[in-house]
Amino acid sequence: MLAYPFLFIAIFFESFVLVTLLSKPAREARGRSLGTAIPSVAIIVPCWNEAATVTETCNSLLALDYPKEKLEIILVDDGSTDATPEAMTRFAGHPQVRIIHKENGGKHTALNAGIATTNAELIGCLDADSFVETDALREIVTCFNNQKVVATTAAMSVHKPENILQHMQNAEYTFGITLRHAFASINGLYVTPGPFSFYRRNIVEKLGGFRYGHQTEDMEMALRIQHAGYEIENAPRARVYTKAPATIMGLIKQRTRWTSGFLRNILGEYRSLIGSRRHGALGMLVLPSALLAIGSGILIFFLMLFLFAKNAVAAFEIRSGIPLSYAFLPHEFIDWFYLPASFYILLAIIVLLISITLITVGKRISKTPGNIALGLASYTILYGLIVPFWLIRATSDVARGKRRGWRY
Amino acid sequence: MPLVARNALLALFITIALAGTVAYAINYLNNARVAELSAIEEQLSIDSLSLETQFSLLEAAPCDSNASSVTLTTELADFGSRLSYAENQLGSDNPQVIRLKERYSLLEIRDYLITRRLAAACGTKPVTVLYFYSNAGDCSDCDKAGYALSYLRDTYPSLRVYSFDYNLDLGALKTFIAVTKVQDTLPAFVINGKHSYGFTSLEDFEKQFPKGALSTSTPTL
Repeated sequence: MLAYPFLFIAIFFESFVLVTLLSKPAREARGRSLGTAIPSVAIIVPCWNEAATVTETCNSLLALDYPKEKLEIILVDDGSTDATPEAMTRFAGHPQVRIIHKENGGKHTALNAGIATTNAELIGCLDADSFVETDALREIVTCFNNQKVVATTAAMSVHKPENILQHMQNAEYTFGITLRHAFASINGLYVTPGPFSFYRRNIVEKLGGFRYGHQTEDMEMALRIQHAGYEIENAPRARVYTKAPATIMGLIKQRTRWTSGFLRNILGEYRSLIGSRRHGALGMLVLPSALLAIGSGILIFFLMLFLFAKNAVAAFEIRSGIPLSYAFLPHEFIDWFYLPASFYILLAIIVLLISITLITVGKRISKTPGNIALGLASYTILYGLIVPFWLIRATSDVARGKRRGWRY
Repeated sequence: MPLVARNALLALFITIALAGTVAYAINYLNNARVAELSAIEEQLSIDSLSLETQFSLLEAAPCDSNASSVTLTTELADFGSRLSYAENQLGSDNPQVIRLKERYSLLEIRDYLITRRLAAACGTKPVTVLYFYSNAGDCSDCDKAGYALSYLRDTYPSLRVYSFDYNLDLGALKTFIAVTKVQDTLPAFVINGKHSYGFTSLEDFEKQFPKGALSTSTPTL
């Protein structure tokens, strides 16, 4: 019975996303054609020990379809201890690339160091493990034609998913494309992700630049923008691909950082946004839902664990002494009569089906290439089993005041 | 009305509609289950009555009608499994479940009596188990006992197992309990007329059966 309210809320949330996707603002955003304005742009690539990927990242930026004289790329070496400085050297003579070396101070300091060296109208960030499509910047820049917009996010997918875990994350990221597109249409975004988010430079400076933000400087900046009453847009066809953790532990560590960052920001400095009518969908719906999702994820996990353990113990007790060849084989014929269709199971199936629909919609909206079938299968089977671990870990860290390193 | 509020209202409407549809589907499925059980129960009543009538008509024991008696018992077992599943889905206090359980108990008593009459007339020795359980939470070993009996019934086709809810408010069952002299210490078993109470393990339980009773050979009745 405890799980029912959360299932209702999950269906409500997903229905809200579907309805919002069909609403006029989202339809108009999808129908937006590329603008003709060509503002000056600086893209900052903060690097800390990114020798393996920084070259490819920079090459993908240099391949962007944008006038060269308007596009500047700033590689910031944030005190790397690997071969990152050497990898950057190959771009040293490039007219569009500027290289900055500084002592290690964290991602936010690297971004601020880059901003301090440019006068570009728009500044963008690209994590050094991410790669962009050639038309992505034009899609992004078009969003800034609206003067109310001070930041714009892109459509992220996983770069060349290889194992089942990365395919699962790819489906999740594609789900994120849909959510970001829908929530941007009602100004409900609370994170401008590291991979290819853009800002008006003057606003970022006015707001005081990037901050530590509990290791989630992208989220902190977005919350600060929302708090100040500005708008954050999304360019659903601005495709960017980012490397995803290949191991469960790597994924849990990454998401623990994201979730604990969210909790610390939202329960700390930006608590006033929760339930704020002035901030519309963000305050009344998106942030409360995000908090509820963390709470319900943990609660349902423990509930399921308890029920599973209880049923397993009962099943073993009942079957003790019975030959294994009989005890653990099904004895009921395949018959509609024995269809295990409970209210709970059917509601859970509805939640899953709408999720799959939203993932498919995300792929279609963003025109992301590749087959998502494996991603959908792994998302369906694995996602719910892994998520509780980082939710519990992050919540526990926040409750105990424990802080972890960026890469541990 | 602001767009967000309108969308939230629409989403709420969709959520209620989906939850309502699920509730309707579950109810429809449960009604279909009850209808299926009623149909099976009706057929079993006819089969049972037919066998009794056949018995009376022939005056002497219709020993050549063994096949129909065995079939009836098998169908009764299937009906019992379905009824048990429906009871889990609908709840043991559901009026339709209670009604079907009453009819099921009557059919079991009737089949048990026919089996005994046929055995006496035809000189056979079927192994019968009367099993009395309770769903009222006062029988901690009933689930284990029920599962063990299911295993024995599936493994030894000649075994005839009759399960009764000891607390069912049915006159015929109360009389049956009185006639068979079963105490209210549950689970209770009457194996070929011999009483036993409680369940510890399958191994101990099997020892209470007559020698050679648990064999996988073709049933004699």
